[in-house]
Amino acid sequence: MAQVATGPELTPRQSSRNLPSMAVNNDRPELKEEVVKALETYKKKDSPKVVVRFRGVGNAPIMKQNVYKIIATNRFQAVIQFLRKELGWQKGEPLFLYINSTFSPAPDDTVLNLFKSFSTEGYLIVNYSTTPAWG
Amino acid sequence: MTDYNTTLFRRLTWEGTVPLEIRVDPKELPANSNRGLECYYVQAPRVSYLPLIVPEIRKFLMDVVFDEIAAKGLKDEEWWFESEEGTLLKWHWPIGVIYDNHTISASIRSSPMPSTSTPCPMRLILHLAAPPNDKLFLSPTIDACKQAFMNQLKEADFIRWGNTRRMTSLRKADQDGLWEGIRERDFDDYWRVASKLMPFAGSPLRSTSPPPVGSSLSRPLSADTVSTPERDGAYSIRSVPVRIYLPDGPVLQELAPPLLEDGKRFWQDVLQCISTERPIDTGTPHTLSHFFSNHFALLFPPRPPPPPPSRSNPNPQAPDVPELAYALIQGVISPPEAELAWLGSCMAGADGWLNICVGINRR
Repeated sequence: MAQVATGPELTPRQSSRNLPSMAVNNDRPELKEEVVKALETYKKKDSPKVVVRFRGVGNAPIMKQNVYKIIATNRFQAVIQFLRKELGWQKGEPLFLYINSTFSPAPDDTVLNLFKSFSTEGYLIVNYSTTPAWG
Repeated sequence: MTDYNTTLFRRLTWEGTVPLEIRVDPKELPANSNRGLECYYVQAPRVSYLPLIVPEIRKFLMDVVFDEIAAKGLKDEEWWFESEEGTLLKWHWPIGVIYDNHTISASIRSSPMPSTSTPCPMRLILHLAAPPNDKLFLSPTIDACKQAFMNQLKEADFIRWGNTRRMTSLRKADQDGLWEGIRERDFDDYWRVASKLMPFAGSPLRSTSPPPVGSSLSRPLSADTVSTPERDGAYSIRSVPVRIYLPDGPVLQELAPPLLEDGKRFWQDVLQCISTERPIDTGTPHTLSHFFSNHFALLFPPRPPPPPPSRSNPNPQAPDVPELAYALIQGVISPPEAELAWLGSCMAGADGWLNICVGINRR
């Protein structure tokens, strides 16, 4: 692994085709250290919080407090569950969530991704409704 | 207006398929099943979704594998898929993304670079009971998948134009037509509507004189389209809807404007401007290499500028940087000079998103 620092242009590039069977059964056998570190960095969970502003639509109950800080790497599913709990919604009671009064994000998308693309004036605006509003 | 170049690549993208090998979990095979035949092979469209191929899998299993009486207790809504390595496969991910994501995740284990000539079937395990619904997020119905697809289209529309007016102004029949196009695997049906949402890559100038097929295949750039971007063209949108998949996660979204503003440019982009005689002050096209070295510099280290020319070396080259990773789009390893606007217009999935899977080079 330490050889990486000497620079790849000094040594001829080796094809992994020569030793195909060696690679099997090892966890990440020939990954460069810098690649492993890079992947770990991009996977890190300790992220900043972002501000989410909830807005009820139609007959939806109004929240006393409607601005919350949420950990950015949370999935949107966590936002859905959080809001249901805040509203005291029972399982099976319908609740529809939208971003910027336009679309429902995929539940496995992260709050960070949504915030990066759709925040307005530092808030991610999440509308909620008891009936489909922007189907 | 039709643009030959854009349509050609959209059709190639649309017609892309991936080989799947689907095997029922042997522990869950109903009594008296015909063992030894419980494997189903399918060449599935990249733009399709797992719920859309479940009916043909079920028909095969019912006809050939399952005992009629024992299969009576099976419920479709309890079926779910897993990769051979134990990754849950989501109902709302396009099949092409599932396949490419599997390829790049394998790239950090033992597989070499993906080979375009001999694609390996991806092995899927089909479970017949106890779906982990909290991790699958959606119910396995075709209708839930359609809803998710529609919302993805809207989200992409918002990223592209800053609103969803193009999507919401479609008549209901047209909106449904998008999904029907995917269900029926009908390119013309789908693009008849989708072309109202997604911009063409070329300019009017280019569309009147399409380049020969050979040249557009070897050089899928749009160098001549930029100086006067069309109002609705690929270079006039706010941002390309793009998602980056890293091996074993996470999935990341970054803003990807089609043109770079002044001051944010890499020297390579300036050089490209000069070599293509494009005015520098209109903004240079945002390339894959710029996007990745900007947002994922640890995997795509930026090339430093070449040293100043000297008498002994009048044409200095920039020093090499290690190519740690590659970008896989619709199963194609994409050249770093490819422009995001062109990719978003020609190689996005049917849901409007440009999905880029990042694999690791093994050397």
